[in-house]
Amino acid sequence: MAAATAPGPRALGEEGGGSTAASALSMEQIQSLTDLADLEAAYSRLCEEEKVVQEELDTLLEQQSTIENKMVALHRMGPNLQLIEGDAQQLAGMITFTCNLAENVSSKVRQLDLAKNRLYQAIQRADDILDLKFCMDGVQTALRNEDYEQAAAHIHRYLSLDKSVIELSRQGKEGGIIDANLKLLQEAEQRLKTIVTEKFDAAMKQGDLPQVERFFKIFPLLGLHEEGLSKFSEYLCKQVANKAEENLQLVMGTDLSDRRAAVIFADTLTLLFEGIARVVETHQPIVETYYGPGRLYTLIKHLQVECDQQVEKVVDKFIKERDYHRQFQQVQNSMMRSSSAEKIEPRELDPILTEVTLMNARSELYLRFIKRRIISDFEVGDSMASEEVKQEHQIYLDKLLNNCLLSRTMQELIGYYITMEEYFMRETVNKAVAMDSYEKGQLTSSMVDDVFYIVKKCIGRALSSSSIDCLCAMINHSTTELESDFREVLYNKLKQGFPATTFQDFQRGVTSAVNIMHSSLQQGKFDTKGIESTDEAKQSFLVTLNNVEVCSENIMTLKKTLESDCSKLLSQGFGGEQAQAKIDSCLADMAAVSNKFRDLLQEGLNELNSTAIKPQVKPWINLFLSVSHNIEEEEFSDYEANDPWVQQFIVNLEQQMTEFKAGLSPVIYDTLTGLMTSLIAIELEKVLLKSTFSRLGGLQFDKELRSLIAYLTTVTTWTIRDKFARLSQMATILNLERVTEILDYWGPNSGPLTWRLTPAEVRQVLALRIDFRSEDIKRLRL
Amino acid sequence: MHLVPPVSRDRIISQFPKWYTPEACLQFKEHFHAQVRTACQWSTGTLGLKISKVVVVGDLYVGKTSLINRFCKDNFDRDYKATIGVDFEIERFEIIGVPYNLQIWDTAGQEKFKCIASAYYRGAEVIITVFDLADIRTLDHTKQWLEDALKENEPDSSFVFLVGTKKDLVSDAVCERTELDAIRFANEMQAEYWSVSAKTGENVKQFFSRVAALAFEQSVIKELENSAGHMAQIGTGNLIKLEKNVMEIPEGNTQISLGCC
Repeated sequence: MAAATAPGPRALGEEGGGSTAASALSMEQIQSLTDLADLEAAYSRLCEEEKVVQEELDTLLEQQSTIENKMVALHRMGPNLQLIEGDAQQLAGMITFTCNLAENVSSKVRQLDLAKNRLYQAIQRADDILDLKFCMDGVQTALRNEDYEQAAAHIHRYLSLDKSVIELSRQGKEGGIIDANLKLLQEAEQRLKTIVTEKFDAAMKQGDLPQVERFFKIFPLLGLHEEGLSKFSEYLCKQVANKAEENLQLVMGTDLSDRRAAVIFADTLTLLFEGIARVVETHQPIVETYYGPGRLYTLIKHLQVECDQQVEKVVDKFIKERDYHRQFQQVQNSMMRSSSAEKIEPRELDPILTEVTLMNARSELYLRFIKRRIISDFEVGDSMASEEVKQEHQIYLDKLLNNCLLSRTMQELIGYYITMEEYFMRETVNKAVAMDSYEKGQLTSSMVDDVFYIVKKCIGRALSSSSIDCLCAMINHSTTELESDFREVLYNKLKQGFPATTFQDFQRGVTSAVNIMHSSLQQGKFDTKGIESTDEAKQSFLVTLNNVEVCSENIMTLKKTLESDCSKLLSQGFGGEQAQAKIDSCLADMAAVSNKFRDLLQEGLNELNSTAIKPQVKPWINLFLSVSHNIEEEEFSDYEANDPWVQQFIVNLEQQMTEFKAGLSPVIYDTLTGLMTSLIAIELEKVLLKSTFSRLGGLQFDKELRSLIAYLTTVTTWTIRDKFARLSQMATILNLERVTEILDYWGPNSGPLTWRLTPAEVRQVLALRIDFRSEDIKRLRL
Repeated sequence: MHLVPPVSRDRIISQFPKWYTPEACLQFKEHFHAQVRTACQWSTGTLGLKISKVVVVGDLYVGKTSLINRFCKDNFDRDYKATIGVDFEIERFEIIGVPYNLQIWDTAGQEKFKCIASAYYRGAEVIITVFDLADIRTLDHTKQWLEDALKENEPDSSFVFLVGTKKDLVSDAVCERTELDAIRFANEMQAEYWSVSAKTGENVKQFFSRVAALAFEQSVIKELENSAGHMAQIGTGNLIKLEKNVMEIPEGNTQISLGCC
C-alpha cells in the first residue's frame, strides 16, 4: 500500500505538468511573457524541469525489470500455496483423531484406577473382616488363657477398625455371621474392661506394683486413658498418703533436742514433696510410652489433690504445734498497743519465722518442678497442636499451680509471716538502738552495725522463702523502718546539737565550774558531771554524724547485694513475669532512703559548722581588724619577725580541727573542712573590707593570705583555690603600685585570669588603700 | 543503649484531661501549669524519666484487677480470680512530649492477704480507692482502706481517687443516687470521684489519663522545686536567670514564625 501511494502525488504533478502546466510556470504565464529575458529565464527553468522529469522516468524504467521478475516469482508460487492448504487440513484431521483416541484411552485408565481402588477397599474390608474374626477368636482364647495383654491388643485392633467398614460389612450376605461376631467382640470388650478394672483394683489393694503397672498399661489399649490415669494415680496417691502418714507420725515422735527439731515441719513437707517428685520421675516414662505425651498433666492433677490433703495435714499440725496463729495474734496485739507489758519477745519468733520461710521455699521449689515437667510434656504433646489448644493448656497449668490448696495455704502462712517478721525487725532494731554503745577509737557506735545486721537478716529470710511478693514486702518494710524509725533516732540525736565550747563557752564553763565547786564545796564533794557530759554530747554528735554516713553507704551496699541475690533467684525461674519490675521498684525506693541519710548528714554538718566552727573562727578572724595594715617599712619588718595574726590563727584552726579529725570519718571530715574553708573565705572578706592598707600593708596581707591558703591546702583534699579566688584577687589589687596599674590586669589584658570581682568591688578594694586618691579611682574606666 | 518502642497512640496526652464531676474533683484547671509546660518543652532529656507509683485498694470483688486489666490489656475476664498478694503493671505514657511511666500496684482485697498487700502502700503518689456501685457496703469500707494506705505515706503527698466500678450493672437512676453518696464520701476523703465500667470500658481510659496527668504534673513541679533549691546552693542566682532569658526568647520567636506560616 505504502509503495503504491508514495509515488502518487508526484505522478499527479507530472500529469498536471503536461496538460495544465502544473510545473513552476503555467501556460498562461508563458504566453503572457513579453520580455526576452523573462522568456529566457522561463525557458531555462522549463529545460531544467524537463531534465528532472527525464531522470525520474529513467529510474522508473530501470526498476521495471525487477518488478517484473518479482511478479513472475509470485505467479510461480500460486500452486504451492494450494498444496499447503491441503496439507494443513489433513494435519488438523489427524490431530482431532489423536485427541479422540487419547480421551478414549484415558477414560479407560480412569475406570481401571477406580476399579483398582475399589479392589483395594474390598481387600481391606476383607482383611478387616478377617481381622475381626481373628480378633474375636483371639480375644476368646486370650481371655481363656488370661493373657489380658493379648486380649487388649485384639480389642485395640478392633477399636481401631473403621467403624463404617464394619457397618457396611454387616449389610453384606454374611451379615448375620459378622453381626454375631461383633456382638461377641463387644461382649469381650466389656468383659475385658471389667476384668482389667477388677484386677487392677485387686492389685492396688494388695499393693502389687508389677500387677498394677501391668494393668495400667492395658487401659490405653481399651481406649480408657482417663480412667487408667485416674486409677493409677489413685494407687500412687495411696502410696504418697501412706508415706506421708508415716512421716507425720515420726514428726510427732521427734525429740525436741533433735538437731532438726526446729524445722521439722519444713522437713516433713520436703519429704512429702520429694516423694511426689520421685513418683513423677519414676512413672513419667511409663505414662509417656503407653499413654502418649501430654498426659502428665492429668496424672499430676490427681496427685496434686493428694498432695494438697497431706500438706493441709502437715500445716495444720504445724499451726497447732507451733502455736502459729496465737503467736500472730500476740504480735498483732503488741503492734497495736504500745504498752510493753505483754509484748512478745522477738527472739522467740526467730525459729518459727525461719521454719515458715523454709516451708515456703520448699513449696516453691516443688511447684516449679511440677511446672517444668508439665510444660515440657505439653510441649512434646502439643508440637502439632493449634495455638488455641496450647493456650488452653497454659491456662489449665496456671490454674493448677495457682489454685491448688498448697499455694493458697502457703500464701496465708506467708501473709502472717510478713507481719511477724516486720514486728521482729522493728522490735530488734529498737533493742539495738536501746543497747547502743560506743567504744573509744571507733568512729561509729554499735547500733549501726546491729541495725543493718538485723535488716539484712530479715530481708535475707524473706528472700530465702523464694517468694518474690514476700521479699518485696519485706524490702518495703525495711525501707520504712530505716527511713522513718531509725532515721528518726539519728535525727533526734543530731537535733540535740553540738555543744558550743571555748571562749564564750569557756567563760560559761568557768563560771559553772566555779558554781559547781562552790556547791560541791558546800556539800563536801566535787562533781565534774557538767563538764564530762558536754564532752559526751560532743562525742555523741560526731559519732551520730559518722553513723548517718555509714547508714547511707550501707543502704547502697545492701541494695547492690539484694540486686545480685534477686537476679540469682530469678535466673532459677522463680517469680512471675513482673517479678523483676517489682523488685526494681522496691529497691529503687530503698536507694532513695540512702539519699535521705545523705541529706541528714549535710544538715548535721551545717549544724556543726554553725554552732562549733563559726563561733570560734569568727572571733579569730576578727582579730585581723586589730592588726594595722597601714604600716611602714619598720613595722613591716617587725611583723616579719613577730607575726601579728596569721600564725596564731593557723595554730587555732589546727587545734580545733584535730578534735574533729579524730572523731569523724575521713569523708565527713573533708566535707567539714570544706565548709570551714568557705566560712573563712567569707568572713575574711568581710573584715578585709573593714580595714585600711598602705602599700606595705597590702604586701603583708598578700603574705598572710598565702600562708593561710598554703595551710588550708594541706588539710583539705579538694582544691580550695576556687574558694579563695576573690580574696586572692583582692590581695592583687591591694598590692598595686598605682591605681591605673589595675588596667594591666583588667578587661582585654586579663589574660587567663577570670575576674570574680565586679567593677564596683574593684573600686571598693582600691579605696581601701589609703595612698590611692579617690579621684583616680573614680576616673578609672573599668 | 537499647531502643524502646514508641508509646502507643492512645497513651499520648497533650491536653489536660477533664474531671468526671465538678462536685468532687481535685483540680479545675484545663491546661498544664505554664511552668511545667515550658520545663517540658525546653529541657527534654534533662528531665529524667519520671515514674509515679499508683496503689489500688478496696474490698474484694469490687473489680480492681478488672479495672487495671481493661486499661492495660484492654480485656475483660468474666471469671473472678482473686488477686494474691499484689499484682503489678507498668503503663507507659507520653505527656506533653515527655515519656512518663505509671507503676500500678494492684493489691488483694481479701482480708487474709492484707498483711502482704499493706507492705506495698508506701511511697504512693496516687491512691485509688475502689468500690462497687452495685454494692453500697463497699463504699462504706473505702474510708478504712484509705486510712490504711495513708498511714504508710507522708501526709499530703498523694492524690486520692474514689472510683465506683461496674457502672454497667446498675440503672442510670441507681447510679445517680449512689454517686450522690459517693461524692459526699469523696469530699470527706479529699478525693476525686469517677464512675467507670471495666466491662464496657466506659470512662476507664479517661480516668487513667487524668490520673497520669495529675501525677505527672505534680512530679514535674516537685522536681523543679528541688532543682531550683539545689541550684541556689551551688551556683549564683544570676546564672539561672540568664538561662531563663535565653529560653524565653526562642519561645517568642517560634510563636511569631508560626503565625507567619
